[in-house]
Amino acid sequence: MNLSLENLEKQFQDRIDAGDNIEPKDWMPEKYRKTHIRQISQHAHSEIVGMLPEGNWITRAPSLRRKVALLAKVQDEAGHGLYLYSAAETLGISRDELFNQLHTGKAKYSSIFNYPAVTWADMGAIGWLVDGAAIINQVMLTRTSYGPYARAMVRICKEESFHQRQGFEIMLTLSKGTAEQKEMAQDALDRWWWPSLMMFGPTDAASTHTEQSMKWKIKRKTNDELRQQFIDITAPQAEFLGLKIPDPALQWNEERGHYDFGEINWDEFWQVVKGYGPCNKERINARVKAWDEGAWVREAALAYAEKKDSIQKAI
Amino acid sequence: MVRTAKDIDARLYTILYKISDPEIPALSIIDLGIVQKVTLEGKHVEIDITPTYTGCPAMDSISMEIRYTLEQYGYSCLVNLVLDPAWTTDFISDVGLQKLKDYGVAPPLSTEKDKRVLYDGERLVPCPRCNSTNSKMISQFGSTACKSLFQCEDCMEPFDYFKCHK
Amino acid sequence: MQRALYKYILLLGDNALVLGHRLSELCGHGPSLETDIALTNMSLDYFGQVRNYFQYAAELEGGSEDSIAFLRKERQYVNCLLVEQKNTDFAYIIMRQFLFDHWYLLILESLCSSKDERINAIANKAIKEVKYHHRFSETWVQRLAGGTSESFKRIQDATTFLYPYTQELIVANAIEVEMHEAGIGPDLKDIGQHYYDQIHTVFNKTGLQKPEENFFHKGGKEGIHTEHLGFILAELQYMQRTYPNMQW
Repeated sequence: MNLSLENLEKQFQDRIDAGDNIEPKDWMPEKYRKTHIRQISQHAHSEIVGMLPEGNWITRAPSLRRKVALLAKVQDEAGHGLYLYSAAETLGISRDELFNQLHTGKAKYSSIFNYPAVTWADMGAIGWLVDGAAIINQVMLTRTSYGPYARAMVRICKEESFHQRQGFEIMLTLSKGTAEQKEMAQDALDRWWWPSLMMFGPTDAASTHTEQSMKWKIKRKTNDELRQQFIDITAPQAEFLGLKIPDPALQWNEERGHYDFGEINWDEFWQVVKGYGPCNKERINARVKAWDEGAWVREAALAYAEKKDSIQKAI
Repeated sequence: MVRTAKDIDARLYTILYKISDPEIPALSIIDLGIVQKVTLEGKHVEIDITPTYTGCPAMDSISMEIRYTLEQYGYSCLVNLVLDPAWTTDFISDVGLQKLKDYGVAPPLSTEKDKRVLYDGERLVPCPRCNSTNSKMISQFGSTACKSLFQCEDCMEPFDYFKCHK
Repeated sequence: MQRALYKYILLLGDNALVLGHRLSELCGHGPSLETDIALTNMSLDYFGQVRNYFQYAAELEGGSEDSIAFLRKERQYVNCLLVEQKNTDFAYIIMRQFLFDHWYLLILESLCSSKDERINAIANKAIKEVKYHHRFSETWVQRLAGGTSESFKRIQDATTFLYPYTQELIVANAIEVEMHEAGIGPDLKDIGQHYYDQIHTVFNKTGLQKPEENFFHKGGKEGIHTEHLGFILAELQYMQRTYPNMQW
């Protein structure tokens, strides 16, 4: 049997084309491994950084019920992050390295979290729109080729559906509440709408990586397709809430069978991706601070475990 | 006393079975064992549910969903949250335990084994994917209050373990 | 009697509220992802208890779980001073937790056979989770004390600072005395004995020293707090105060 690299790669791609899952102990091309480390770890980073805008509001949640729901949501995100870091680590990278990449800006996280959570209504908007957009991206990944990632996505999607419902429910409560509350909800929608659309990335024409990603089933639909799907689902929800999406060009197009929508501010998109959004620095600083200030704790835990181990061995 | 499923009116049982825990959608609230008492008088239903964990945020949404679902079927409904009997993982039905495993969550072990796993680092939790017990704990606390994160060192799968709660 | 019972519930609920709040400040800022999750989880447990306690309190004297949690004034909160201490560093967080958990577990063990059915039920529920907290905090005290010289210094500093807040936990005020006589609450003298036995045992094992001076803080249970509580309430109550009488 000819085991040349070319052959191995072809057999590997054949497996993927046939719908096989690639598992951690299978042979895989180096590029596949590296791409998945990047993809999975950036997903994990997004969960962790995503804890910050919401974590910000836990101490000020307006009722015990909302506080408990928000605490659980943030815990869920941390748990998802941990799960994904574990999956990335099996591909050959350490936790230290992963955090180092995040802290130095080598690895990215979802840009949406570079926007500030300014009012309580932002908790509703984030759940409804940001989780909503994330789910659409993630559902696609439930059939991605790398087994642990696909299986993680199945569970994460289901859990995030609950979060999204809760976010929507916050918006509903506000929009049916007092005039002040409705205004708060509308204001949050105004600020989070366009950044949520940007979560789907640049237009197809401006996208790189797409072909390889399609082959490995990391992407199954294009950015524009997913963005359109999100708008089509969400626009009627905004109507139900009695809120107005801040896009004068948003309109149902009977012929296309989709909503038409306005032009995204791509300057803003690229600025935020490059690091010049409202809170890029704050987000990273918060993570770096937590990690650096926690160094003595981690060292202590390690030292203690080693001491216990050597005592065990001596016995 | 734990109410077994067969104590519940058959029509209501079928309806309630469709409602699942939003954080573990594979589990029906019946299999989870949180439905304690169901009384039916004419078209009025009164249901007692007991929360799994004290801070469980899903209870409000489960209550709402129970009321909403029953109303769709033409019943009026009152849902009570009761703390007694306190829920334990023993309340999860056998079907529920299997569904957890199929969903990728390792079902709870006995109290004694659970302690050994969580505190002494013993490898006893079977991987829901490959069944190997060569699994190590990554974090005692997982994404929800009821779960811990583990990883199988044979097939490398990270998975959640449903902690024994008694 | 009902009034005393109501006040007793506030004693229990306010501890959970303020400690839950301190822990909730840490979300996303823990020394590791695993500890972050653990602290968030514990905060969630406490707020779940707060809801149970305050829902009961509201049934007794009116209001709602939220009005009781969010709308009292500084001098009306009756949590102990220990739980309002700041999250100075992880050692303080752990020592505060350790000193509280050991006491709270003893309290709950007693409340599990309280003559008041509802408190009995709440305690039977809460104790399952508090056992986990207890184990968590004690394990970390051991880790930090036995880890590195830096971690030992920090946990010792935390011990020296926080130990003077412990006595308040086991000196009964009039309400607690009344509750004990009614078979609803525990005998704090008895609890106190076991409590100090347990924590001193851990200190001895780990080499931690309690402070020499025989000085202890008090006042929380009478509504006289440290300066911290005002700031905690400013955050906690913000939404309810700024947007009064609305549904959330």
